[in-house]
Amino acid sequence: MTTIFTRNNVTVTGSGEKTILFAHGFGCDQNMWRFVAPQFEKDYKVVLFDYVGSGNSDRTAYNEERYGTIQGYVEDLLEVLDALQIKQAIFVGHSVSAMIGMLASIQRPDCFECLIMVGPSPRYLNDGPEYFGGFEREDVEELLGMMEMNFVGWASYLAPLAMNNADRPALTEELKTSFCSADPAVARKFAEVTFFSDHREDLPKAQTPSLILQCSEDSIVPLEVGQYLHRHLKNSTFHLMEAKGHYPHLSHPQETTNLIKDFLSQLQGKSVQ
Amino acid sequence: MDERLNHAPCGYVSITNRGIIMAVNETFLNMFGYDRKDVLDHHIESMMSMANKFLFHTYFYPFIQLYGYVNEMYLTLKSKQGDSIPVLVNGRSRRGDEEEIIDCVFIQMSKRIDYEKEIRNAKTKIEEAYRLKDEALGRLEVLHRDIELKQAELIRLNAELETLAVTDALTGLKNRRYFIEKLDAYMERFAASHMLFSVLILDVDHFKKINDTQGHLVGDQVLRKLAQIMEANLEEPALAARYGGEEFIVLLPGMDARQSKQAAEDLRTAIEQDSWEECAVTVSIGAATVTSEDTNISILARADQALYQSKNNGRNCVTHAADGLHHK
Repeated sequence: MTTIFTRNNVTVTGSGEKTILFAHGFGCDQNMWRFVAPQFEKDYKVVLFDYVGSGNSDRTAYNEERYGTIQGYVEDLLEVLDALQIKQAIFVGHSVSAMIGMLASIQRPDCFECLIMVGPSPRYLNDGPEYFGGFEREDVEELLGMMEMNFVGWASYLAPLAMNNADRPALTEELKTSFCSADPAVARKFAEVTFFSDHREDLPKAQTPSLILQCSEDSIVPLEVGQYLHRHLKNSTFHLMEAKGHYPHLSHPQETTNLIKDFLSQLQGKSVQ
Repeated sequence: MDERLNHAPCGYVSITNRGIIMAVNETFLNMFGYDRKDVLDHHIESMMSMANKFLFHTYFYPFIQLYGYVNEMYLTLKSKQGDSIPVLVNGRSRRGDEEEIIDCVFIQMSKRIDYEKEIRNAKTKIEEAYRLKDEALGRLEVLHRDIELKQAELIRLNAELETLAVTDALTGLKNRRYFIEKLDAYMERFAASHMLFSVLILDVDHFKKINDTQGHLVGDQVLRKLAQIMEANLEEPALAARYGGEEFIVLLPGMDARQSKQAAEDLRTAIEQDSWEECAVTVSIGAATVTSEDTNISILARADQALYQSKNNGRNCVTHAADGLHHK
């Protein structure tokens, strides 16, 4: 299964009986966990990976059909777990990855002990008066346009041609350190998958115990979304962080780490009783 | 703040790790129409639309946390009047007195962004054109495949029609029309190169009686079986056809009178000796070999006369048109 390891740039560190797996969100890669993940290496086997199309994953493995829906990313996650023969993983997912982990836990409950969701949202778009996701459709259109113009090589990139032309020589090694070095097609598709998906119907199907870490003044995911999730997810614990923003694992790694550890020890306590 | 920095030809803002604006220069304030009090101690996000906030959070923050700098990020910030002003942002983090500070410079890019938007529009149009072209091509390919299929179907139907047009439906032998065509061709060849040929006309003996006593179905069966026997006993390039009713006709290329008479005799014997279930079946045969006086009508007339002779001679026998000449 070396192909999965290289395909998803899987890195395994730490030692322990249990495995904790960190999954990055939209627009970034496993580097996002670099202030948090090392703090678990003493007690856990720590697994990091990049979704296909992100970070240092094998970009030739990307195909629009598979990754045109969130299920492609769910499969990435399950295939990484299977390749490592992990059962009962502690899953930590940021942003869209929280939903990816939840969907994976519905399909394969045996693979997950618990889900830790950092800034999760089942739906980013507002939907009538009842649901406030934070984004209007126009916001997303604006975002896609702005993202596009921030990407390297956006002007020379032609969507209809890129489908037949997977390797793009413009994306050389040096560009990988640019903040928008991802393939514009891949990033755009991932953004569409993220923003236009709606997983509210899936929430009641999830059984795995979960922790929702909601940032105070999260400018991406409003407080209401975290509360909505908590109401609809069985076995969920809700925690409003002191951290502000949408990247507590970068801005407040210590608070994030402590909250995860507290939750795990509580869970441990419960199972011992 | 240093006066030169305050009036530097670029906007300058320094923010905390959390995005709170700690310092701002005049150029920035003028660029966006704000007073110092409007922005100091406010979050930089307060000048951003939802999309810009997301972009800022997804790319600017994480990248600067990880690498300490961000170069050439394109954003739009809202002016005090509510206009969206496009800017390029460079950021660098440095260790402040208490916490990390991020210094940012902003260059307004209104003209540049107009150019880029033009490029983007052109690109969108090209993409659309490509898409339409691919669609049109797709439709053409489908049409082309349809036409090819229809053409193959036509060719097949044509071949089928051609076969039907020259085939006798009851016996499966070639029909009279086809035979006459071939006969004409052999007549021409004879005229040109003297290649001999002969014709046979076969008539079933007492066929009317078979039809009357055994019924038409048996009559048809007899004709079909005769056709099979003839096919089995004739070799290329000999050609058997149904002449009409209970009459068959055979073209024997390359055969002279003696050979054609032998072939006729072999055919007659084969028919007589075959196992006929309902009734015995025999044929009378008239043969003729082409001469330089012949037309396609006369050669058939001579064979027909010879057949008449065979009937008169008691049926189930062969007469060649030349035989009578010897008798006379």
